[in-house]
Amino acid sequence: MSERDAKLASGSRSTGDLDRRGALRIGIGALASLALGECIVLRPGETAAAANLAARRPGQPGIPKVPHDYRRATQVTGVCLNCSTVCGVVGHVIDGQVVKLAGNPNDPNNGSTLCAKGQSGVTIAHYPERLLYPLRRVGRRGQGIWRRISWDEAFAEMTRRIGVCLEADKPEQVAIHYGRSRISDVIDRFMSAIGSPVVLNHRALCSLHKRAANYATLGDTDWETVDAAQTKYLLNFGSNFYEAHQGHIHFLKRVIRGRYDNGAKLVTFDVRLSNTAGRSDEWFAPFPGTEGAVALAMAHTMLAAGQYDRAFVEHWTNVSVDQLREFLKPYSAAWAASLSGLAADDIERVALEFARCRPACAAFTNRGSHAHYNGLNNDRAVILLNALAGSIGRPGGYCYGEAERVDPAVYPPPQPLPPKPRRRTDLEDPPEYPLANLWQKMKVGELVYDYLQRRRAVVQVYFSYTLGSPTTWPEGRSLAADVLANEELIPFHVCSDVVYSETAHLADLILPDATYLERWGLDTRNSYEFQPYITLRQPMTAPPGECLSFADVLIRLGRRLGTSVSQYFQFADHQAYVRHQCQHIPPGDCDDGFAYLRKHGAWVDASRPPNRGSFRRQLSAAELTGTSTDEATGVIYRTGDDDRREPIGVVVKGRAMRGFKTPSRKLEIYSSVVAAQAGKVGIVDDGWPRYVPVPSHHDLPEDRFILTTFKWNVHTQARTAAQKYLSEIVHDNPLWINAATASRLGIRSGDLVEITTYRPKGDTYRATGEPIGSAQIRAFVTEGIHPRVLAVSNSLGHHFGGRAATGTRAALPDSPGFDAAVLPDDPDLAESLWWDARDGGRGPGVNINAILPIQPAPLTGMQAWFDTVCSIRKFRT
Amino acid sequence: MPEQPQYLMAIDLERCTGCHACSVACKVENQVPLGNFRTKVYYYDEGEYPRVRRSFLPVVCMQCADAPCLKACPTKSIRRDADGIVRIDTQTCVGHGKCEEACPYGAIYVDPRRNIADKCDFCSHRLEVGMAPACVETCPSGALVFGDANDPASDIRRFQARYQAELSVLKPEEKTEPQVSYRGLRPDWEKKVPKGRNHDPRSYEIDTWAELRSEFGGEEKVHE
Repeated sequence: MSERDAKLASGSRSTGDLDRRGALRIGIGALASLALGECIVLRPGETAAAANLAARRPGQPGIPKVPHDYRRATQVTGVCLNCSTVCGVVGHVIDGQVVKLAGNPNDPNNGSTLCAKGQSGVTIAHYPERLLYPLRRVGRRGQGIWRRISWDEAFAEMTRRIGVCLEADKPEQVAIHYGRSRISDVIDRFMSAIGSPVVLNHRALCSLHKRAANYATLGDTDWETVDAAQTKYLLNFGSNFYEAHQGHIHFLKRVIRGRYDNGAKLVTFDVRLSNTAGRSDEWFAPFPGTEGAVALAMAHTMLAAGQYDRAFVEHWTNVSVDQLREFLKPYSAAWAASLSGLAADDIERVALEFARCRPACAAFTNRGSHAHYNGLNNDRAVILLNALAGSIGRPGGYCYGEAERVDPAVYPPPQPLPPKPRRRTDLEDPPEYPLANLWQKMKVGELVYDYLQRRRAVVQVYFSYTLGSPTTWPEGRSLAADVLANEELIPFHVCSDVVYSETAHLADLILPDATYLERWGLDTRNSYEFQPYITLRQPMTAPPGECLSFADVLIRLGRRLGTSVSQYFQFADHQAYVRHQCQHIPPGDCDDGFAYLRKHGAWVDASRPPNRGSFRRQLSAAELTGTSTDEATGVIYRTGDDDRREPIGVVVKGRAMRGFKTPSRKLEIYSSVVAAQAGKVGIVDDGWPRYVPVPSHHDLPEDRFILTTFKWNVHTQARTAAQKYLSEIVHDNPLWINAATASRLGIRSGDLVEITTYRPKGDTYRATGEPIGSAQIRAFVTEGIHPRVLAVSNSLGHHFGGRAATGTRAALPDSPGFDAAVLPDDPDLAESLWWDARDGGRGPGVNINAILPIQPAPLTGMQAWFDTVCSIRKFRT
Repeated sequence: MPEQPQYLMAIDLERCTGCHACSVACKVENQVPLGNFRTKVYYYDEGEYPRVRRSFLPVVCMQCADAPCLKACPTKSIRRDADGIVRIDTQTCVGHGKCEEACPYGAIYVDPRRNIADKCDFCSHRLEVGMAPACVETCPSGALVFGDANDPASDIRRFQARYQAELSVLKPEEKTEPQVSYRGLRPDWEKKVPKGRNHDPRSYEIDTWAELRSEFGGEEKVHE
């Protein structure tokens, strides 16, 4: 009998005597008949149920619940940040507390709806384990001993540490690394002001290939806006937008309307039965990394059958039909079938169904097709299908806007602006990956810790913000955590966070952040109504304790750093900064644009007609003044003051058109840019979106599998695990294994299996094919996954982040960062957290990223998450 | 004087995306303790690879016209009001839990800390101030349809006009006359919904998705 069992048997974790009648009633009868010396193993949750029963007193007067009295509530608008979709929200505030969130009807994308994550937002604001005070490390880094300090002390130390770098003329030794901040303008301003270029992000672990494919092909945008409400056919290559797509419910809402009110068909390619795949009209599971082959074969099929928009290809792409035919020649459906495992008939049938709906049809991606070694070309091949269908910029097609960012020209920040830093380091500008920063600063975040370890750059002061690298990075628990723990490699680590995360645990100074319900900022996304809009994040309540938003930390820090820096921070605070940005917004029914946004939460620029893609716009006489046209290509150039020729349009059918923002001003199926950049680093690339096999998957032995990861609809990467209602729904992440595969290996649901992962092969980081790590994990046998694929979700397996994140039913732990007088304990976490593993529950899951190898794709540096090769063995039944 | 409203809900399973927004909105709105649910979404996977489908089944209180909970309450603390909503009187409820045992839909729980039965009442406190139930307001796909059956312009009347012939109820054999109806409901899915106890929190665990049963804690092992 284990100690844990003994504890359960003695009832020491109950709050009183067990109500035996109650115990029998809910079916945990063994408790009632327990004799001295006997031991009981309770099924998941039953100890929590027992504790609840213990508290129950049937027949005694209860304590009525007080429903939210909305007559007393005030409404404050804001913007969600529980994922990157950034939905407009309305907070209902009663007695200084946000009691409930709703979607903001004025937000053109989400309206009054929110997803589960959005609804959960209030729980993080009230989380008893929120950090409320600045903390200074005591003892060794990572030992977890902290001393509460004042903000003055915190600022004094940060100022001194940064000052040392500036005095030594080494501003680039100050780095900021963030996950999802939505304040990158303030971060860039601060870093430019001190002269450091080392602003690090997570884009290469996220969406780099998708963005790069759109930039290379369309030039105008990194993120398409599929006109789903009006479409007739949706060809989805690996996007799980029912659960987690960026633009999640913005897109989802319109897909639902398109499917059920407009008769659209949805076909999904995914190696795993996501909710999107499970609800599609057809689901196909191609072998991982062969999505591009399938898309190319569909293009081949459309061309061969004459089912394509010949005029679009001839007038609006940079290749001829003959060139395209030649390129697509080897990519038959039979060829793609042999690689992907799909039936050639299905590939051809779906391609022609799609083509016959043109132009109201769209092929699109997210993650599934692009987080591979060959992901850039996979996504380019999918965009090619839209070009062939002529659906680019058409109602119901593959569309894009032009105002998807908070444009400083429209929303001007306070002057003066600091100049861009002239220095560079390998950290933010890795020379091996020429496409990482070509169109947008996407960096190669997964290599930062390796570069620090190898001293390719020196950092003295490292700020982390909304960054969960020890849990969310590949090799996070090994390399990222090791480097973060190393006081020589990172002498001073400042972490701004809402909860005591794994990153905070490895810091020297913790700054308690304000949640997104308590801070400022402008935000926007691609509009699914095709008109630019802006939303305002504003505090619904004051931050509790001494929490301070990281934007305000940087502004205050900037003001303390001498005039060379402080000259750029001559405004009161982040609120004043945002107010300045709002000066051109029409006042509407308010005093000014800022007041308008504070009241309404969102402003839509209705002065412009809905725009699904402006390449077909004819250039005006004014725009053509002083331009010249290249007779051979039709490209219209303007020569700037610096004598550089800038393409601004293209002659199509004798008319001067705006075209696409590519060098040819046409949709670039062939990319001279990709070819040229590859040449710079010695890679031969002919510029076509040809199929590149994944080297790690070549001649894969029968006993090796591909390990894939995914997100649930109730979790983002790391920040949602601390939210009790979300972790109550999903706290466990067993290993998905196909039923036939499991049967062959003698594995049943619930068995403990061990998976071992291997380093990649090919032109990538540490391409040795050697084992990297193992994990023991429970098996989940399902029909909903490819027979050669195993899947484990990310987002779980937290060691820190409080009781909801770690699945611990206990009293509020002591910490100088917590304060029950400010945020009282939540009896749910103390008494009712039913999935605690010590009670026989499933516990908080497994951190799978710990054993995923770092594997940046060539040219781009995109982390090839879904290429990981692994083996599996039964560990214990 | 407007007519007395008659509140109804319909759940369109074709549109439901299983997102749990209704559940979480409900728990936040109604301060529902961990381990208990007024609103819950079940998943059901069926078929063999590669032809597999996933379905979702959101369950709320059915606001039965012939409500077993009401008849089972020893303190007569449950009533069905003129607007069609079955409500618990929190002033007189003393947490006997007979209502939970009587409910065929897992819709009722006894709040362990307050010792008061609790269930969906269509967010009556929101209806009083002109707000929709929290789940309905937030549903991204429009799967939850709610409104006053006496108002010809209401969402529920429009939905009924479009789909009346396709609507059915959960567990018709219980003869409870549910006022919540479903579009696209398959009879065997009701095996997911517990009778006589509140929704089993473990029925969210992923390995229950392909199963048609409602309890996951029945087998105690006793050993030395």
